[in-house]
Amino acid sequence: METVNKLPKRRSRFYSSEARVAYICLIPAFVGLIFLTYLPLLGVLGISLTNWTGLKAPEFIGFDNYVKLFTTDPYIKDSIITTIYFAVLSVIGSMIYSLFIAMMLNRKIPARSFFRAVFYIPYVLPAVAIYVGWSWLYEGNFGFFNYLLSEVGLNKIHFIADSSYVVPSLSLISVWLAGNLIVIFLAGLQNVPNVYHEAAEMDGANGWQRFRHITLPCMTPIIFYNLLMSLIANLQVVTPALALTNGGPGNSTRFLTYLMYDQAFVNYKIGYACATTLIIFAILAAFTVVLFKTSNRWIYNEGGDDK
Amino acid sequence: MKTGKKLGVGLIAAALAMSAIGCANNGGNTASPASNATNKPADSKTEKVKILYSMWGSAAEGSTTQAVADKFNASQDRIEVEVQAIPWENYMTKLNTLATAGQLPDTGMLQEGGVIQWSSEGMLNDVSAMYEGSDSKPLDSLAYKHQGNTVAYAAANEILLLYYNKDMFDKANVPYPPAALDQAWTWDEFVETAKKLTIDKNGKHSGEEGFDSQSIVQYGTSVENLSWQLETWALSNGGGFYSEDGTEVRIGEDASIEAIQKVADLYLKDHVAPLSVGQTDDGIQRTIIAGTVAMATNGQWNIGTSLNTAKEEGLKYGVAVLPYLKDKVTLNTGGANVVFSQTKHPEEAMEWLKWYNSEENNWALISSGIWMPTLDKWYKDETFTRKWVENPNFPPYEEYKSAVVDYAQSDAARPAAWFYTNYTTDFNTLLGSVLGDVWTGKATAKEAITKNLDALKAAHAGSK
Repeated sequence: METVNKLPKRRSRFYSSEARVAYICLIPAFVGLIFLTYLPLLGVLGISLTNWTGLKAPEFIGFDNYVKLFTTDPYIKDSIITTIYFAVLSVIGSMIYSLFIAMMLNRKIPARSFFRAVFYIPYVLPAVAIYVGWSWLYEGNFGFFNYLLSEVGLNKIHFIADSSYVVPSLSLISVWLAGNLIVIFLAGLQNVPNVYHEAAEMDGANGWQRFRHITLPCMTPIIFYNLLMSLIANLQVVTPALALTNGGPGNSTRFLTYLMYDQAFVNYKIGYACATTLIIFAILAAFTVVLFKTSNRWIYNEGGDDK
Repeated sequence: MKTGKKLGVGLIAAALAMSAIGCANNGGNTASPASNATNKPADSKTEKVKILYSMWGSAAEGSTTQAVADKFNASQDRIEVEVQAIPWENYMTKLNTLATAGQLPDTGMLQEGGVIQWSSEGMLNDVSAMYEGSDSKPLDSLAYKHQGNTVAYAAANEILLLYYNKDMFDKANVPYPPAALDQAWTWDEFVETAKKLTIDKNGKHSGEEGFDSQSIVQYGTSVENLSWQLETWALSNGGGFYSEDGTEVRIGEDASIEAIQKVADLYLKDHVAPLSVGQTDDGIQRTIIAGTVAMATNGQWNIGTSLNTAKEEGLKYGVAVLPYLKDKVTLNTGGANVVFSQTKHPEEAMEWLKWYNSEENNWALISSGIWMPTLDKWYKDETFTRKWVENPNFPPYEEYKSAVVDYAQSDAARPAAWFYTNYTTDFNTLLGSVLGDVWTGKATAKEAITKNLDALKAAHAGSK
């Protein structure tokens, strides 16, 4: 009896002191979060209800900014559509591409670590250099791709100067940049238990069946993680618009984050830009919630359902 | 879970409290200029008046300007100028922040598009009196005017020109574009010449039998289509973006639309220009310097910022006046030097600006071909003109004198819209977006502009 009594007591003391240390260790993180994330977030909400331009003291104007955004703003509709279009293309493209490359790199091929580095390199290159480099490939009159096209007698394609091609062209760059997803997929693939494959092989399953019924289910948690990260990153896209297209041609690359940047730091409509920011936030939140809500249906949990 | 929730509620409560305090602090900030104000006069009684001048540029550029200011400081015993250099990318953001805090410098540079807006918000002093009694004044087209008052003078002058590659003209045995305004090409002459200089890979010219527009190796021309430069052609065709006083939007008029369509047609119909959709501001590098285009329009500053280097590497370029549709037009522009209304010492600030704006003090920028002088004596008095232009950085004297110096003081030179119109940045951004599909031929200028005319008018009214 005594031992039974003692044990939980010691345990709780142990836990509470551990908890104390944990809270102390968490303080810096909390302070950072509160002052650098949550308070500014509330600030954005507050400023979005004003007409602040940075010059004069802000005046409270209620929801006018939001009303304007949804009624008279010449950009926001195109901007939402083009952002989602870009994000969907890039996410699907980079998920398929990076899973495929990761599976290739997971095989016993010669110079495997060399190729792993090769596919990761784009991710660590400086962004602006990448986009300027791609702009030379894509250039509409004398660019490299158009040189190839004209050599084989095809008409030129204005990859980034034509509103129908520009988003797919930029998505392709984003897919090519997905080296970080490859690394995470690789780590996941190495955790797929080999015994399953061996067992299936013995039962006569072919490569596709093994991929479909073993690799893919085991990888679903990793796929979910990559999907979420890649979706959030691509919905916040801004660099290609800043580096290559200035939002054009037309509004075809006026991504939401670029629009917000333009409102805040080119036209100094800071209140208005804050309202746009919250719309971006709402869209991100909506996509994330949908992804989480549907995740239970397709994520395979090895340990069974522990919720 | 429960503790978690409580913690969450606590955090939100704390956050709300902090944001309330944050607001209170903001309120407090507005009081600070007043306390500054009480300190300043006390200082100036015993010491020199201190003037803070802000400029965009690196720390190195800042110390170069400070060295110039030190000469001014040594030349008299009433005013002490201190230079504050702010990187270009953050310049306007930083000034906005300082304005909110009531801590603007006394005087400083301001980007073109911001002058009338700042003036309309009461942030700038009237500087009409700055050149009273002076023997040389800035060119008339270089004054920023808001409601009839001169609120700033441009720190430099710039005009739009036609650049051309002499080797390409010689090879095609075509006469150079005219440097003299009275011989300026009409648009049709311009397009005809451009056709002779456009070559496909079989050596055929645009308009010839068998010419293949998909395999052009050299283009005849490229007319810069950044929104603000497009106004040149609208004005030249008898239209414009705005009425003369800047109050009305005129871009919906047929003359304006026709002019924009003509620029687009250089690529679409005449096949003499490469496609450009106004995404980047590097027109001369992409055309004349890349060696792919025979003629290109752009600002005078390109001589100093890029063409000089290309010349050293063997490029032979020339300068000419722009072609015209109905009226001969070029735009001139230049970033502004302003006196902020928050200053306690407007007179001293103006005295410094007037001294600093004299060309001798910006000689490095002027002699390298980046800036043109603002004072009229440099244009009217030949000894001054020779001092400025007879310098290996410039094209031959006669050519530059005619195509730039005389052009800039002619009737053709009109101020860019931001000298007298508010919200030009908004308007130009929207126009650039509206015209995106016009350059590729998916829409006509008429369709694109008519469809968006209300939005363009709203942008001009600042009520976007």
